[in-house]
This record gives sequence, C-alpha cells and structure tokens, in this order.
Amino acid sequence: MNTVVAGITYRALLGRRRIVLLLLLPLALIALAIMLRLFGGNDPHSAELLMDNFAIAVMLPLLGLIAGTGVIAPEIDDGTIIHLMSKPISRPVIAQTKFLVAASLMAVFAAVPTYFSAWLLVGNEDGLAAGFALGALVAGFAYVAVFLLLGTITRHAVTIGIIYALLWETVVGTVVPGAQKFSIQQWAKSIAVQISDNPFLDTNVTLGFAVPALIIVTLGAVLWAGQRLRVFALTGDE
Amino acid sequence: MSEIYDIGYRHYDGPRLGRGYSTRALTVHSLRGVFGLGRTARSKIMPFALGVIMLLPAVVSIAMMALIKQHGMSYSSFAVSMQTVLAIFLASQSPTVVAPDLRYRVLPLYLSRPVAIAEYVTAKVIAMTVALFLLIALPMTLIYVGELLIDLEGPPQTKEYLGALAMALVLALLLSSFGLAIASLTPRRGLGVASIIAVYLLASASVPVIYGTLQSAGNTSGALWAWLVNPFWLVDAVQVWLFDTTPNALDGSGYPPGPAPAIIVVVLIAIGLAALAARYRKAAAQ
Repeated sequence: MNTVVAGITYRALLGRRRIVLLLLLPLALIALAIMLRLFGGNDPHSAELLMDNFAIAVMLPLLGLIAGTGVIAPEIDDGTIIHLMSKPISRPVIAQTKFLVAASLMAVFAAVPTYFSAWLLVGNEDGLAAGFALGALVAGFAYVAVFLLLGTITRHAVTIGIIYALLWETVVGTVVPGAQKFSIQQWAKSIAVQISDNPFLDTNVTLGFAVPALIIVTLGAVLWAGQRLRVFALTGDE
Repeated sequence: MSEIYDIGYRHYDGPRLGRGYSTRALTVHSLRGVFGLGRTARSKIMPFALGVIMLLPAVVSIAMMALIKQHGMSYSSFAVSMQTVLAIFLASQSPTVVAPDLRYRVLPLYLSRPVAIAEYVTAKVIAMTVALFLLIALPMTLIYVGELLIDLEGPPQTKEYLGALAMALVLALLLSSFGLAIASLTPRRGLGVASIIAVYLLASASVPVIYGTLQSAGNTSGALWAWLVNPFWLVDAVQVWLFDTTPNALDGSGYPPGPAPAIIVVVLIAIGLAALAARYRKAAAQ
C-alpha cells in the first residue's frame, strides 16, 4: 500500500466525469427503492426482486467495471503509467494499492447503497439488507480485482468486461446452468442466502464453493495484475 | 538584397468535388471504422464477433425451417430478443466513431474543409445507423431468403419482414443518435463504452421493477407505459402500432395503444441529434 499512489488514483477517479457514473447507478437503485416504497411494494418479495435484478445483476458488475478498469486503464491508455512505473515502487505494490482504492470505492458506492435500499423496503427483516450488502461487498472486491487484471492485459478491458458481465453472467448463466458456478454474481447471492432467510431468495451455488472461489479469484487476480505490471512493456504491444 | 524565388508551388485547378463528396467520404470512412476495416486486426475482433453472434439465431431459424418445417424466431421479435448483443455493439463501437477525433483534437482540420458541423454530425450518425441496421437486417434477410427457398406452408411473411426492416432502421437511428451523443461527451474510449452500457442497463433493468410496482399497485394501464423506458421495447411498440404485429414485451403484456410511442421515438431522436450537434459546436470552439 503506497499512500501517494492511492491519493493519485482517488483523485483520478473522483475528480473526473467517472464519478458521475459511479454516483448514477447507486442513486438509481435508491430511487427505485423509494418508488417501490411509495407504491406499496415494500414486501419481502419485491425487495428480493430489486436486490436480485438490479443491485446484484446490474449495478454491481457495472460499478466493478467502472472502478476496476478506471483505476488503471486510463493511465495505461494515455501512457502516464510510465511516470508511476519508473519510480522505485514495487509494481505489485502499485497493483495492490490500486486494488485497495477500487475496493474501497465499491464499499462506498455499491455495498452501502445496497444495504440502504434494502433497508428502505423491509427494514432489518430476514437479514435481507445485511445479506445482500455483505454479498455486494465481497463480490465487489472480486469484480474490481478481475477488471483490474483485465485492464492490465488488454486495451479493450471495458468491452470484454461488459461481455463477461452481461453475456456470460446473465444469458449463458440462465441457459447453461453449469456456467452459473463460474459467476461472481451467483457467489454474491450464495452469501446473501446464507445470512438472510428471505423465502424468495435461492441459489444453486453452495457456500462451500462460493467462498473459496471468491478468495481465489480476488487474490489470484490481484497477484496476476502485479505480475502483469512487472513485465509490462512501456512501448506498448501494438 | 532579398529576392523572392519561385520555388514551384502550383495552384490546384482540377475539379472541386465539394461538400456532398467530402461528407460521403467521411461517412464511408466512419462506417469502415465501426467494423475496424482499415484498422488493426485487433479492432476487427469485437465488431465481427458480435456480428457472428447476431447471425447465430438466423442459422438456428433456417435449420428449424429446413428440418422440422416450423418458423423459428419471428422477424418482428428479432431486434428485441437480440437487444443485449445490439447494446454491446452500440456501446463498444460508438466511441470508436467519435472519440479519436475529439481526443487528438483534429476537429479543426475537418472543419477547415467544406465540412461543417452539421455535415460532420450527419456523417457520423449515418455511419453508425447503417452499421447497426446491417447488423439487424443481414440475419433477418438470411432468414427471409431461407424461408423463400425452403417453401414452407402458407405464403411467405413478406409484410412482416419488410415492416421489421423499416423498424430496424428506426431503431438503428434512435440507438446511434443517443449512443453517439453519450460517447461524444468523453474523449476516453473506455469511459464512453461504460457510459453507454450503463444508460442502457439502467433503462432495461428498471423496466421490470417499475412495471411490477405499478402492476401490483393496481395501475394496469399505467404499467404498460413502463415498457417504453427501454428503447428496444419502445420501437417494438411503434411496430405494433404501425404493422399490427404481436407485442414482444415480457409476460405477454401489451403496449400503450395509439401513436404515443411513435411520437416519443421522434422526439427522442430529435433530442439525441440536437445534443450531438450542441456538443460538437462546443468541441469545435475549443
């Protein structure tokens, strides 16, 4: 963890237009929760639907994509990463610092709004709010780690990330049930199921698979991203 | 004592091809850019991969018609059911149309030619519209040709096919005017991709929630309007109104009756184009 690198990364993410996108999604989630509450949809079923369809399936991967690629891809894209990499800072430490920055953003912009909007609908009933907030937090870490790695591997990180988050996790996941085992969303849900006893919530990935998978993916992606930075060719590979 | 040398610069006195020619050239150049033609092999991967995915349902449809003599996917539902792929294509390719010119600040070079902002924007919108239209129309045409060749029972669904083609054009125009307007806000490609997909997902994911809420509140006619938040269902609603096709909304729900969706589409296209023109007027002044 290098505080200077962390400070630069925070400024790059929060000082530009990217913050509009980071704010837009959680605000939309809270707006939907308020609308549901006003129209009398504050029952456990619609709360579960909102959490499942919007918070976990849409907001989380998108925020992960924006935060995870946002901490590193623009710098690689416009070449300013050279200034960072030519300093005597271990490159894996740079990758770890950037991961921590992105992870903290996920906690603020994904987990907190998830808890708040579920709480708006059902309060602390069935532990739904806590379950989804924890699921969003842990899966958020995994998402930013994976997208950080993607950002160091390819210049099309955002597009590939979208294809993973949309096509793999939703379309392929619903058609081929086995693919759901390899979906960060499903791991998040399996944690939510464990904590919450909401009757409408259900998953087909066991906790015994989800937790090790989340840990391995997160740690593996961060370490691999550090490795990618170590062997990064400053001249670019095109 | 100084002397002026004649170093042989010559005037151009050949034909001047004019405004229309340069706009056409820019359109073709942008259209080739959408598919990565004339660029590196890497930039061809994404558009062509998505194009191949769009062709898969056509292949399945033709196989179904040939083997079990049944219609596969209907023409009117094609764009709606492939909306995720189309949205990804729009998101990943619209920044390639507008971002590089903004990023490398070459806009003054274009505008010093007979191309004005209106022509520049028109060329970019036409290029993206044609690209999206090709993506939808090509598989549909394949299915139609397959239908004619296989010769199923009953007359060919020519009217539905032509109607779906017309709506594909409207959809392409709506998507590209909005996609380019969003993409032109940032010179960064990655951020442009993320913004477009975020706007699409916000629109599409909030529909079931709004619909479900209004439905459970007993406001059934109001709930129908929720579908119009998603651009694909909005255009489908226009198709239902114009060509009397079956609605493709989930749960077998219909759309609000009457010309309202068509008016919304026209207004949205106008807003998208106006935003794009305003953005470029500002960018050109920088």
